[in-house]
Amino acid sequence: MKILVADDSRVMRQIVIRTLRQAGYDDHDIVEAEDGRDAYDKVHAEKPDLVLSDWNMPNMTGIECLEALRSSGSSVPFGFVTSEGSAEMREKAANAGALFLIAKPFNEDSFKDALDGVIA
Amino acid sequence: MTTPVITALLDGSTIQEIAEQAWSALVGEEEVLVPLPGELPAATLSSWVGIAGPWTGSVVLTCGTDTAEQLTRALLREHAPEELDAEDVSDALGELANVVGGNVKAVLPGPAALGLPEVGTPPAAGQPADTLRVDALWRGQPLSITVQGALGPPHTPASDIEEENEVPL
Repeated sequence: MKILVADDSRVMRQIVIRTLRQAGYDDHDIVEAEDGRDAYDKVHAEKPDLVLSDWNMPNMTGIECLEALRSSGSSVPFGFVTSEGSAEMREKAANAGALFLIAKPFNEDSFKDALDGVIA
Repeated sequence: MTTPVITALLDGSTIQEIAEQAWSALVGEEEVLVPLPGELPAATLSSWVGIAGPWTGSVVLTCGTDTAEQLTRALLREHAPEELDAEDVSDALGELANVVGGNVKAVLPGPAALGLPEVGTPPAAGQPADTLRVDALWRGQPLSITVQGALGPPHTPASDIEEENEVPL
């Protein structure tokens, strides 16, 4: 399975990838994207099976990326990993078609709760 | 309309709790923030995120430059290069401010927007009553987290500011 991790922070991308491994999802190909625009392009180029995306990013935010993907006909499974975990943000994410929202700070259990059933 | 100042919306223990969760998850499970003040060294680094909404201001993290480097190594763990570059340190410190700021935003009145993390000289604080500062020690080194209202009369509607600045013809 191929997972695309989108975050404008390189440090946070490393932490997300590390947490995926700690949560037991250690046998997957990882592709990194540095903002929403890059994620949009890489979904089309790399055809990942899942996108884990930050919300606030320069150039294109995570939610703009999700909306653009759905408009372009992509139905790639998409979840947020963001420091904004309020009920309002969760509702916005769900309405745009996100499968889940993992709030930062997270740990391997937050990943397992969100990803069990999504990652084979 | 007057929006309450930060000290009426939040207390220091909530900020401390948010920061402790961020430290435990990002810096390391065994890493603790001891709620004790310490004197910041002369050379410091600050990172912050802005919040714009019913309450407008910034969440600022400040620590010594050595502490910032150690935090970066803790976040990157085995991926930390032998020589850290300034970009890594800015990225790591900015992300800590982002996580703390996002969670502070979640307990403030909404709707509000969170800005992208910035690193450098933080924005000037507004009134003392609209500033809440928490000091802590990490591995014995001091750091501070300040939730501070924007400079100027708190939450003055933009239309009033324009009128005040208007030059009569």
